[in-house]
Amino acid sequence: MTGGARFIRALPYVVAGAAAGYLYYVASNFQFHERPGTLGPDFWPEAILVLMIVTCLYKIVSGLVARNDAAEIGGVLEEIVEESVEEHTAGSPPGTPVVESHPYLLIAGMALTAGYVIFIQKLGFFIATALYLALFIVLGGYRRWGVVAAVSVAGTLLLLFFFMKVVYVSLPIGQEPFSAVTLFLMQVMGIR
Amino acid sequence: MGSTLHNLLIGFGHVFEPLNLLVLLVGIVLGLLVAVLPGLTLVMGVVLALPFTYGMHVIPAIILLTAMYVSGTYAGAWTSILFRVPGEPMDVPLLWDGYTMARKGEAANALGWTLMSALGGGLVAAVVMVLLAQPIARIALTFSTPEYFAILFFGLASVVSLGGATLVNALISLFAGLLIATVGVDDTYGTHRFTFNVPLLSDGIDYLVVMVGAYGLGEVFLRLEQGFKSAPLQAIGQIKTRLPRLREMLAFKGTFFRGTLTGIIVGLVPGAGATVASFLSYGIESQYGKRRQEMGSGIPEGIIAPQTAATSSVGGAIIPLVTLGIPGSGATAIILGAFLLHGLQPGPQVFATSSNIVYAMFASVFVGIIVMCVIGYFAIKVLVRVLDFPEVIVSAYVVMMCILGAFAARHNVIDVWLMVIFGVFGYLFERFKFPITPLVLGVILGPLAESSFMTTMISHDNDWTVFFTRPVSGPLMVVAIITLVYPVLRHMRHKSKIPKH
Repeated sequence: MTGGARFIRALPYVVAGAAAGYLYYVASNFQFHERPGTLGPDFWPEAILVLMIVTCLYKIVSGLVARNDAAEIGGVLEEIVEESVEEHTAGSPPGTPVVESHPYLLIAGMALTAGYVIFIQKLGFFIATALYLALFIVLGGYRRWGVVAAVSVAGTLLLLFFFMKVVYVSLPIGQEPFSAVTLFLMQVMGIR
Repeated sequence: MGSTLHNLLIGFGHVFEPLNLLVLLVGIVLGLLVAVLPGLTLVMGVVLALPFTYGMHVIPAIILLTAMYVSGTYAGAWTSILFRVPGEPMDVPLLWDGYTMARKGEAANALGWTLMSALGGGLVAAVVMVLLAQPIARIALTFSTPEYFAILFFGLASVVSLGGATLVNALISLFAGLLIATVGVDDTYGTHRFTFNVPLLSDGIDYLVVMVGAYGLGEVFLRLEQGFKSAPLQAIGQIKTRLPRLREMLAFKGTFFRGTLTGIIVGLVPGAGATVASFLSYGIESQYGKRRQEMGSGIPEGIIAPQTAATSSVGGAIIPLVTLGIPGSGATAIILGAFLLHGLQPGPQVFATSSNIVYAMFASVFVGIIVMCVIGYFAIKVLVRVLDFPEVIVSAYVVMMCILGAFAARHNVIDVWLMVIFGVFGYLFERFKFPITPLVLGVILGPLAESSFMTTMISHDNDWTVFFTRPVSGPLMVVAIITLVYPVLRHMRHKSKIPKH
């Protein structure tokens, strides 16, 4: 295994360990009135953070020393499952397709979801959701435009009706002028 | 015994109320669909159904989620047998004999064995669940905080030791979950912990937000990265289920017994759900079954063993949930969430305070299993057609349900942001092989573990040895430590067996 590969393998543990170190610093500065002979509210999180830092350090060091994944200590039943699969399939389980990777699709999907959360307060539930559903479906590679439009608009109307009329969840109606659309639909559906 | 039967009958009365029966039917169909649909797992399905229960009364809410949980362990077998596409990870063992049987032209027989295995295993486990729950709860009533901490410690240790891909990753996942649970105002001192001046964080992070994000959104992100490439559905020809005769079934009574027992025991252990039960049961049959040499060649034992175990694990998993308030799996964690949302805390007292709800849940397991098998028998051809449904559309709605689920909990957009953040974490966890279950169980059980630990320390002058010296907590702590150390010893033994050159 090359140095670069080892670094990539160790990266999640470096990040987790560093985050735990920072949170330990935060925990050690909790404001509270100490009671003699009693553990404070910082004890429990600090204990967890120490264990987490130690575990990450162990992993980083063992990752640098070990040559391959064989040094990993697996979960007992997980290993039984893996052994069972290997025994019957000599490798990957049958029916498992070759896994493709589309990182740009993932980033676009994450950005789209974040955008939805940002704009839902402004656009209101109906417009934001119908747009989001349509864009997500198109992003996922589906190109039957009639189905995309129907599924996103009709689905959003159904969700709006169910959550506002049946479950009484007060969904965002948006800001002017977009709120007029949600308010109109609510009126049509008899939602107060 | 008499009171148990009486309460169970009252439970059946609740289930057979028209509205509750309708909810049960919806839950069963949804569970079957979730198990068949690619990109949707059983736990995800139950998570996504949770927002719909916000406006319901507690009994129909619990019935809906329980029905989904039960039927989610069954329908994935159909696609394994018919199309070589396991609906759930637990259905992989069904490929080895189920699909092989179908290829030999015995698909109807294979589907029949699956149905009878789910029915038999599920019902026997349900009986065991009813018989064991109240005695266990009675014993648990005598427990004090050291015993509770020891039980939680054992539960968390077994989640780490059994479920994770690697022990270290499972530990980190658990610590992250326990840490998330500390966010908010501390109960004893009123101290703000990790709130970073965000007012909403003073109330803590709702574990439903963590679950919905990590299980639901994280999985969608993962599938999106893979381009939503699920296996195309092969032409559906004649799909029929031929039920085995009683005489045929009696010939496999040993396999039925072993599978059911394995399922119940595995279900009882936190962190090891239907998937582990299914694989383990197949493994046991391969080692101890009468026709162990023929396993994998398309024999009924290869279907009975994993399917009985998968469905019977439901009954096993419900026992610790109801009697101790400790969920053993992702799905039971969500059912616990539904209890808590309606102001009910499962645990030893639940039989005294809300026995009608508990027995309605038990009754819904019985009725659910029977209804699931009836629907499975008559509607299999219609239900497997959902495989044709575009995965991207299903996923778009999964995201929407995740968002609505997070928003509806406290009507706050910050919860939605938190859910998205945990969705990204869920994706990263999957990507870097960190198991999600320890994270989720850490978030759920963390507050209970902390409060029982701190109360014990206050009551016993910070003497931590009390956990090891009491008659119940001591052995539990020792077993928990052995559970944690065992994978390390197993690994060392395995390593010493590998020749150096």
